[in-house]
Amino acid sequence: MTLTIALPSKGRMKDDAVAVFARAGLIVSAIGNDRSYRGRIEGMDGVEVAFLSASEIARELGAGAVDFGVTGEDLVRESLPRSDERVDITARLGFGHADVVVAVPDIWKDVDSMADLGDVAADFRARHGRRLTIATKYWRLTQNFFSTRHGIQLYRIVESLGATEGAPASGAADIIVDITSTGSTLTANHLRVLADGVILKSEACLVRARKAGHEADPRVAALIEAVRSGL
Amino acid sequence: MQPSMPPADRSEFIMPQSGLPAFASDLARALDALGGIRVDIPVIQPAEPFLDMAGEDLRRRIFLTESETGESLCLRPEFTIPVCSAHIAENVATPRRYTYLGQVFRQRRDGASEFFQAGVEDLGEPDQARADARALSEARALIAALAPSASLSIILGDQSVFEAVVAGLGLPSGWQKRLIHAFGNEQALTALIARLANPDSAGQLDPEVAGFLAKGDAHGLEAHIEEVMQATGYSTHASRTPAEIASRLIDKQRLDAMRLSPTSLAALKAFLALDVPLDRAAAALAGFAQNTGLEISAAHRTFEARLKALAERGEDLAAIRWRAAFGRPLDYYTGLVFEISAGEGGAVLAGGGRYDRLMALLGAREPIPAVGFSLWLDRIDSVRTQQ
Repeated sequence: MTLTIALPSKGRMKDDAVAVFARAGLIVSAIGNDRSYRGRIEGMDGVEVAFLSASEIARELGAGAVDFGVTGEDLVRESLPRSDERVDITARLGFGHADVVVAVPDIWKDVDSMADLGDVAADFRARHGRRLTIATKYWRLTQNFFSTRHGIQLYRIVESLGATEGAPASGAADIIVDITSTGSTLTANHLRVLADGVILKSEACLVRARKAGHEADPRVAALIEAVRSGL
Repeated sequence: MQPSMPPADRSEFIMPQSGLPAFASDLARALDALGGIRVDIPVIQPAEPFLDMAGEDLRRRIFLTESETGESLCLRPEFTIPVCSAHIAENVATPRRYTYLGQVFRQRRDGASEFFQAGVEDLGEPDQARADARALSEARALIAALAPSASLSIILGDQSVFEAVVAGLGLPSGWQKRLIHAFGNEQALTALIARLANPDSAGQLDPEVAGFLAKGDAHGLEAHIEEVMQATGYSTHASRTPAEIASRLIDKQRLDAMRLSPTSLAALKAFLALDVPLDRAAAALAGFAQNTGLEISAAHRTFEARLKALAERGEDLAAIRWRAAFGRPLDYYTGLVFEISAGEGGAVLAGGGRYDRLMALLGAREPIPAVGFSLWLDRIDSVRTQQ
């Protein structure tokens, strides 16, 4: 059985992932030319590398179409319902750091915490004739965090596929749930992360799809061990 | 809305629907015997009202699609909202009673995602105690007729009693709102009560804002917020106005400093722990009011009127439990809620309650009191076959 490892197909994520593998003694090379979407690990037969986009990697892991993948925890948690049953985060790789956060207009000086936001959301309809709106591409993470963790039900999600941090100023939504690494984009857009508004501290992870046959496969344990020891 | 013929009469013309229990025609006749208008609600519904009323959590459980013009549509996940919306659209006189029996589409943890529900909505009935009692009593009787040997367990809650207790404690309205909003969500309520007993330190304030607050300068604060909004180009689309933010800041400062006395805290906890058969509920509530000295007589009278109405309908009060903490954390439920289950901890066969605020939220121009219930036909069917 061929083991498939999905790695990010471009940019910093790709370079960092390849570097982590190299430190683990696993030299990734592309098959054919440099832009090829297929690769191998030198000296390892029966292991195939697929270069995919980070969000595709999360999806393919969930479907069990690949055995391992390097992708952000945010994408795993967002795209896979009950992700812990389907995948196993075997190592956190120390790059691609980003937090998924709840941010409100900085001028909402009365809103520091999720509890404050809960108060505002509860009153919103009576005051403004509509529910509080949240711009985000993280539907699942937002719903879990607001409903399950904080008991906040009364809000509406407005799907945002880009430039989410501009939504409050443009009137597209009241607040946002988005990813941030340094916070500078949020600050530039006069937004502020709530004190308890960090939904997830994400980074790139080596993720294993939970598949039958992995336990008995010595290559699986060896690969995890190699990557961990290289960190 | 046109009265429609019960499914029994149509069955020879259409294919049998999957999951329609064998007792559906009996139930249809029983529903019609309750009076009211049997409504036919289209299966395809605009999704917005459901998401707006029940919240985003519903989104992953309903079957959504989009019209060609981009309108969000869904397969009807329940009947109450479309029945009430249709009533408002028709602008007809109340009181009016509607009944329904049909398929709903919703993903559940257990069971199929398409299943049948039947129920009653009583809109605009002025005698609320009687309307409440009738809803519970009819739901129980319908189930008892369908599953005569099932042992039913019924629990009842009443948000308005909780509201009276919270008001009686003399809490500022901001705190009352928070507690009432969390009613029915045990985890959220417990967290709030802990916060009331032991306020967490306020978050760090912007020094400029803190200056205005320290001086008690509401106007200055509002002007400052306005100024910052304009400077940052936010004001053109601001949903929350400077006045709203300033007044909530001032409120919040007061609320954060609020600490519930140990006596009041004990009273709140004692109330939420009340769990007695309904024939002892009036005494329990009276005892509670006396022990704590809280003024809740108006809510007490409403509660007793409902008990009386239930007894007059021949309901066995000893067989119904009143659980003071039982409620639904949705902002349109206002008073009675009940659930009828197949024995203690068994599947919920019927759920109902009073949702006086729903009609206004859906756009009714005048307040219309509303109470209703819904039966889960697949679960009733499995209770029948178990016997």
